[in-house]
Amino acid sequence: MSQEQSSAAAPDTALEREVAAMIVSALNLDNNPDEIKAEDALYGDEGLGLDSIDILEVALVISKRFGFQLKADSEDNFRIFGSLRSLTDYIAAHRTK
Amino acid sequence: MTTLPLLPDLPAHQIVAFRQGQAINRAVFLHDVLGLAQRLPADRPLLNLCQDRYLFALGLFAGIVRGNLSLLPNSTAPESLHALQAQHPDLLCLHDHADVPSGFELLRVEPRPPMPSPTLPPMPQIAADQPVALVFTSGSTGTPQPHIKRFGRLVNITRAGAARIWAETGGPCAVLGTVPFQHMYGLESSVLLPLLGGGILCAERPYFPADVAAALEALPTPRFLVTTPFHLRNLLEAQIPIPPLAALVSATAPLTRELALQAERQLDAPVLEIYGSTETGQMATRIPTRTEQWTLFPEISLIREGETTIASGAYTEQDIVLGDVLELLDAQHFHLLGRGADMINIAGKRSSLAFLNNVILRLPGVRDAAFCLPHDGEASRLAAFVVAPGVTAREIQQGLRAYVDAVFLPRPIIFVDSLPRNATGKIPAAALAGLIATHLDAGA
Repeated sequence: MSQEQSSAAAPDTALEREVAAMIVSALNLDNNPDEIKAEDALYGDEGLGLDSIDILEVALVISKRFGFQLKADSEDNFRIFGSLRSLTDYIAAHRTK
Repeated sequence: MTTLPLLPDLPAHQIVAFRQGQAINRAVFLHDVLGLAQRLPADRPLLNLCQDRYLFALGLFAGIVRGNLSLLPNSTAPESLHALQAQHPDLLCLHDHADVPSGFELLRVEPRPPMPSPTLPPMPQIAADQPVALVFTSGSTGTPQPHIKRFGRLVNITRAGAARIWAETGGPCAVLGTVPFQHMYGLESSVLLPLLGGGILCAERPYFPADVAAALEALPTPRFLVTTPFHLRNLLEAQIPIPPLAALVSATAPLTRELALQAERQLDAPVLEIYGSTETGQMATRIPTRTEQWTLFPEISLIREGETTIASGAYTEQDIVLGDVLELLDAQHFHLLGRGADMINIAGKRSSLAFLNNVILRLPGVRDAAFCLPHDGEASRLAAFVVAPGVTAREIQQGLRAYVDAVFLPRPIIFVDSLPRNATGKIPAAALAGLIATHLDAGA
């Protein structure tokens, strides 16, 4: 419990910026990655507005850079892609490289 | 009156579907279909939004038994569904999940409790000319045009497709689809092919490459994968082990020879391509690594009249003018020279530029606008040129989202002072290409 609290209190901002830049680059977005906030939504009609095709592209880049495959049946993707921070936390917990 | 059995003549214990790791035999499937049919009100059209392919199939086949027409709209965006409801006020929405549109009368589709002794109920006989589904094309004005699919023709075209595909795989397969099944390709290849063609339907629609691998692993061999160029490329680039396949099929967008070769190398299975349209259904197949020629299904004939090609035959209601440019080689073979410029197909979902332009032009503050597909080929993202002083790109995206599926939202939206329309109000192709070169290619 205390670990969860400390990780929530101290998000990995370096990784967060890396993930933001990765999304912008993978999808050729116009956004400035530094202006994407940690709590910004990624999927759906808020925030970046990514769709199901974008998520597959991002998942592919994640698998290459961080060495793990996303799975829809094991985790709630709406939660994972809920915000830049939740995606970053998920990558931090599952990365193998 | 000609009638046909609802399902092909197979033993009661034959496995016809896999769902959540459970094998479902023909007797249980029919039991589930008849149970749902009893719950359906007579004469009301159905909007089948089930996401589980088995439950979707229950809704479709129960509707066939009860005489309900299944409506399969191109878009499930809220405003599109409400427009459909305005035309069909007694629409009943079948669903299997919590995320359903508001304002519809709902019926939740569920399998029945298991039967005490699984015996095959009497097989319903269906009139060959019974309308069973309505599919939609966008129409040149952008207003969706309905097309009736009758039971006999669906059975015949499915058998023709099954004969072609099973010849390549060596027999009926367990069929896994990554594509949406509310459109003709996904419906024919991932629902009707297994159920009417003697194969095994897989309820799951896997999303990530690892999901595809896991779903295939759970199926008995031989296995057949139904996909699109976009999903196939995503699967191959993940570089993960994929369980053995007997074959795979791609449709909806041109499959490059390079991607087909890579798929055959990596998956060690032949790649088929299917050609068809919403109006005609599937019409022809080819194996792109062996030949560029398409081979027509039996009982379909093509006639060339000037620049257009007309399809007729046993599977279509009437003669159908194809949107694509075909070169006819002989009675059974053709080359596909060009795709219809208006049709947009992304990852198994379809729309048209006419429809999209119609929607964007009606948004508040938009004075003029034109969608375009900047890069030909597979899985490209649409862009839009817009004249709308004071309106933001976000406002336009939000406005479109109510009417169109998210995969068709334009990116980028380029604001311009005016569009190069000619005297007849059209934007010449060359002028649009010029806009694309100026605004999109330069920065790419």
